[in-house]
Amino acid sequence: MIVAHELVKEFRIPERRPGLAGSLATLFTRRYRVTRAVDRVSFEIPAGSRTAYIGANGAGKSTTIKMLTGIMTPTSGYCRVRGIEPYRHRQRNARSIGVVFGQRSQLWWDLSVPDSFRILRRIYDIPDHVYRRNLARYRELLDIDALGTTPVRQLSLGQRMRAEIAASLLHDPAVVFWDEPTIGLDMVLKEAVRELVNRAHRELGTTVVLTSHDIADIAAICDSALVVDRGRVVHQGSIQDLLRSADRRSVLFDHRDRLAADAVCATVERGLPGVRAVPADGGRVHVDYPAAEFTSRQVLAFLLDHFDLADCYAPEPDLEDVLRQIYGRQRPAAPSGVSAV
Amino acid sequence: MSALRTAARYARLSWFLGGVGLHRLVTYRLDFLLGAGAFLVRVGVQTAVVGLVFRQVPAVGGWSYHEVVFLLGFSLLPRGLDHLFTDQLWELGRKLVQRGEFYRHLVRPVSPLFSLLSERFFHPDGFGELIVGGVLVGWSGSRLGLDPTATQWALAPLLVVCGALIHTAVKLLFSSLSFWTVTSLPAMYAANQVSEFAAYPLDIYHPTLRSLLTWVLPFAFTSYAPCAYLLTGDADLLVWLPAVTAGALALALAVWRRGLSTHETTGS
Amino acid sequence: MRAYVPFATGGLQSLLQYRSMFVVTGVTAAAGAAVTVFLWRAVYADAPASGGPGGFTLAGITTYLLLAQILQVLHTNRVDDEVAAEVYRGDVAVMLVRPVSYPLVRFFACLPVVAANAVLVGVPVLLLFAFLVPLAVPRPGDAALFAVSAVLSVLIAFCVNLLTGMAGFLTTNTWGVRMVKQSVVAFFAGQLVPIALMPGPLAALARALPFRGMADGPLTLLLGRYDGAAGAFGVLAQQAGWAAGLAAVCAVLWRRALGRLEVLGG
Repeated sequence: MIVAHELVKEFRIPERRPGLAGSLATLFTRRYRVTRAVDRVSFEIPAGSRTAYIGANGAGKSTTIKMLTGIMTPTSGYCRVRGIEPYRHRQRNARSIGVVFGQRSQLWWDLSVPDSFRILRRIYDIPDHVYRRNLARYRELLDIDALGTTPVRQLSLGQRMRAEIAASLLHDPAVVFWDEPTIGLDMVLKEAVRELVNRAHRELGTTVVLTSHDIADIAAICDSALVVDRGRVVHQGSIQDLLRSADRRSVLFDHRDRLAADAVCATVERGLPGVRAVPADGGRVHVDYPAAEFTSRQVLAFLLDHFDLADCYAPEPDLEDVLRQIYGRQRPAAPSGVSAV
Repeated sequence: MSALRTAARYARLSWFLGGVGLHRLVTYRLDFLLGAGAFLVRVGVQTAVVGLVFRQVPAVGGWSYHEVVFLLGFSLLPRGLDHLFTDQLWELGRKLVQRGEFYRHLVRPVSPLFSLLSERFFHPDGFGELIVGGVLVGWSGSRLGLDPTATQWALAPLLVVCGALIHTAVKLLFSSLSFWTVTSLPAMYAANQVSEFAAYPLDIYHPTLRSLLTWVLPFAFTSYAPCAYLLTGDADLLVWLPAVTAGALALALAVWRRGLSTHETTGS
Repeated sequence: MRAYVPFATGGLQSLLQYRSMFVVTGVTAAAGAAVTVFLWRAVYADAPASGGPGGFTLAGITTYLLLAQILQVLHTNRVDDEVAAEVYRGDVAVMLVRPVSYPLVRFFACLPVVAANAVLVGVPVLLLFAFLVPLAVPRPGDAALFAVSAVLSVLIAFCVNLLTGMAGFLTTNTWGVRMVKQSVVAFFAGQLVPIALMPGPLAALARALPFRGMADGPLTLLLGRYDGAAGAFGVLAQQAGWAAGLAAVCAVLWRRALGRLEVLGG
């Protein structure tokens, strides 16, 4: 479906020297340095998945998306979307993809959203029934009518994002690339976007590739994650699996013992070496344990033995923590010379 | 066959987007009036300057008052025609590359140049130029007692179209520089400024400047050469018009294509 | 005042990043000057040495038109388009939360632009034309008067450009407004036709408008075309008066515009 092979993208960046003297100097000479935004990245994304493209240094999330959408040509390596190299057959590729670049609009700046949609309909030759079906859907889920006849430039960020997302799906693309799409969307709308994607996925098998800094976006929209670190895929699979790979787990519990919180924590840490226990809000205790040394069964058994438990639950590991842990594990102590853009 | 279908598709799209452009004029009525009005003022000032010059002398560079006004008016016609359809090139030169907004023309299933130009057809300012130009040409033509031959009548619209294409080529070339320099507004602005020379008889300029306007930035072919032909039947320079138009367009398109591929390499 | 210094250096820094800008401003100015200079030289080609129409000699009219164009370079401070763009994008709202006055920020940001244009564009264009065509050499006293007058003309130009930029509050087609401004200013400043060559009523109107102080005023002083010390003082006083008046208009209108902005919520 979507394949990247040894994908590399380098940029030549003119060096700016600081301060006024620096500016004057660049007036006469210009030095460049080469940075590698995408560093030999290889991956495959199966058709019909909703994948979050997550990466740290050298993964160059936005740059990768630009190559997958045909806006940029790789320095070396290649990528294919539905069997074609996007940057070689840009217009052909364009018909089957939808794009949102969160920071930059692709709508007609001084036209209203309905006007923009009418133009897109012509440009993409969208059949009547598809156009009507999708508009009805946007009305229902995104409340697109509320945007009315206001020119796009006067919309709020959230309103504009709604229109951008709708525009990217309007022609029933086989793949949508969303680069930081949900900036400015609130929780209700995130749910709506999720529903929109679900329906497109169910009915048309649409593939979604998303990058986002917001872990909540990822969790809300995607079912699988592709984690790239320094060019290598370090995790590919469901978000659940990714969470399961967390090396520390937590349990929170309530108890009916007449003990000071400090004493409870001390008991836990003494009984289970390597475990951290801290008092949490509302008299509860937060227990944090290494998954490699204890099973949840062992921890729970210990708690049941020592305390009169009133309530107990184990929260999902935090995705952000998991990612931090993955990058930390992969990276050697000394940082390499390559920097991200 | 498929080329024919593509052409038909672009024709349909142009028709539709032209409609959108006209619709926009109605929506932004004040803008339209301002844009068209701005050119009225500008050309009014230019005509006033010519009038004030001729208060002092009966002829400049061998051209009479009404002949200069005819030239001034005619120079607006190709300029206005070009203005109606290619004004988005200013946006390209000004900011599209700089702000990374050019990408949207690369993710649509139409040619990037068409996508860019069609984003705004029928720029209001162009109407101002066409109307004022037409009025000036008509007025001065009747004052001169101009009686064009059938050939001249037949060629006149072609001369305007070729002139417009030369304007487009220069604009496309200079706006494409922004793919390398991020913004090429100043260069476009300078080229546009040079095109102002075309509003006056070439005979008054320094010979170097004259050849620059004829063979380097060939604005002489947008007004001076056609007017010399229409006013006196002198076609010495005019015979070069087709070659110059084709050459300018070919060069500009080549630069545009190179710029596009540079853009794909460097991003924004 | 200190608060505004960074805006001045910042303005220059962002300008220097586009070094091609100066070359191109130069080309633009040279082209603009060439049109008027050649047009009028065709008129004065046969003028007697004692002076042709309006009392100008061939060298005098050439100097007048060339320097009028160079003054215009000093007046191109990009305030009109930048203010218009910031108003249009709503970025002005961001400026309002800073503890500085926006018009003053703009003023200080444009000063280095003016200085850079003078040195990097004005001087080369002047030298280019001096090489091509004979120019009149002013008396030292007149040159000094011209320098003072040129500074005042920069102030007037700033106000005019700020007012033009504020049109962004009213219309999205600020390009059209700027075009009108440019034409009207160039004409009534006497940049295209010296005011002395305009017919009576038109000349009277041009003398009464503030734009006169942007080209014709300074050049009257440079070429010594004034009536004694009183005449020279009159030109400068009129310029200073207009500079102060326009600054006041800017201040009032800016405050009004802000009120509107707050009501509309940006």
